[in-house]
Amino acid sequence: MTADVIVLGAGSAGLAAAVTAAREGAKVVVLERHGFAGGMGTASLVHTFCGLYLLGEGPPRLANPGFPAEMAERMLRATGDDGPVRMGRVWVLRQHPVEFVRIADELFRESGVEVLFHSEALRAERDGDGWTVEAVCRGQRKVLKAKALVDASGDAVLADLLGAAAERTESALLQRPAYVFGVQGVVEAEEGLALAGRIVDGVRRGELPKEALGLHFRSSGRAGEIFGSIDLSGAEEGDYDPLDAGCLSRLEVRGRQVASAAVDFLKREAAGWAAAYVSHWPVRAGVRESRRWIGRHVLSEAEVLAGTRHADDIALAAWPLEFRETTRGPKLRFPEEDRAAGIPLGCLMPRDLDGVFAAGRCLSCDHGAQASLRVMGTCFATGQAAGVAAVLAARGEAVEGTLLRLRELHGSPE
Amino acid sequence: MKEMPTAEEVVAMLREEGIADLEDGFAADGNLFEAGMDSMAVMQLIVVVEERFGAVIGPEDAGRENLETPEALARLIGRRTA
Repeated sequence: MTADVIVLGAGSAGLAAAVTAAREGAKVVVLERHGFAGGMGTASLVHTFCGLYLLGEGPPRLANPGFPAEMAERMLRATGDDGPVRMGRVWVLRQHPVEFVRIADELFRESGVEVLFHSEALRAERDGDGWTVEAVCRGQRKVLKAKALVDASGDAVLADLLGAAAERTESALLQRPAYVFGVQGVVEAEEGLALAGRIVDGVRRGELPKEALGLHFRSSGRAGEIFGSIDLSGAEEGDYDPLDAGCLSRLEVRGRQVASAAVDFLKREAAGWAAAYVSHWPVRAGVRESRRWIGRHVLSEAEVLAGTRHADDIALAAWPLEFRETTRGPKLRFPEEDRAAGIPLGCLMPRDLDGVFAAGRCLSCDHGAQASLRVMGTCFATGQAAGVAAVLAARGEAVEGTLLRLRELHGSPE
Repeated sequence: MKEMPTAEEVVAMLREEGIADLEDGFAADGNLFEAGMDSMAVMQLIVVVEERFGAVIGPEDAGRENLETPEALARLIGRRTA
């Protein structure tokens, strides 16, 4: 099987990269471990798109044109919402995981991307001017060849397969994982602050585990359906290691225990919750941070906070630094004058390799910058740029042309 | 019996504990929810208030009228410490 571009992962970055590359005329194959696309926004039930809109006062303005704007539009059409909602100092777009899956299917079909669900990359190596990638589906192997690769795996899986330069934040500082689950059967129920007070009371009385302290519920936008979200420590036994199956397994089980205990408690004590039940579990807990590529540019926390722009910016980072280093809720840090920093092309380009591009939350940046860049709205933007860059590389053209091509397609950001 | 904290002390607490990202000199009657305090932050707030002041804020207290501004919060803490 031969393609121009192989994309690892069909989360928000991989979806954007694959669809963009296919629209540029490339033959694109995507490898995705689940049976659907969307990553954190579907498998992990993260139900808001963050990073789509610029910070600051006034009406919402999209930070990045092209694919991010198109996703916002398609999602609004699907949910029927009027637009983004203001949460404190930021705008977020409510999104529904079920709609996200369907929109991704449509985008793949319309653009002609070949998707291989249930597939994981097992091996990757240089092959002449291009690359060979071996994928596995239930023990059955498939060899694929391509001229360029995009790593949108979220965990920089390809960096590890290629033995390329990558880094990991020390365990104690890693952003804690989110655990999001669906709940139905809640009717005209206690919510918001009163519910928050009740949950604290439950923890105080020992009826609820301590982890429930961060639990909050938000309407999914569909009648009778809400999502519950908690942050877990990931250190249920030993240090948090988001790349270790044992650690992730304990995390999944703990998430289900805490969620079940919380819903049982609210059924007993909160008005309107008597008939509540957990209606769906996430396919996986929402890992926020793990392994990252080391690229030609490593975007720093200081650059994001200063709203730094570079000559070769391919996207803007419009989300504040959202630290989740503890389970005690997010700590937001806003850039100077709410100015969005630029993400230069060098963040997508591995330090020592040509023909490979990183996108999404595993691109090249430090721990602090990743606290801003990891969100889905920004992943759409970096994925889009990686798609354009990969097509140029596959054609043997200069990758620096990515900026010009993005501008031709969509105009300048802001 | 402890005294009711001042609105300034409440603002300082919210900032120190990272419950709300407030500017210097945040007004005693400023709106904390508009400043980004959400229901999740309110949970941390209730825990911190109990640790610092021994004030137990129950589910019935967790309403906007008690939590919306530093001065309302100061009054609530005063009532629940008394």
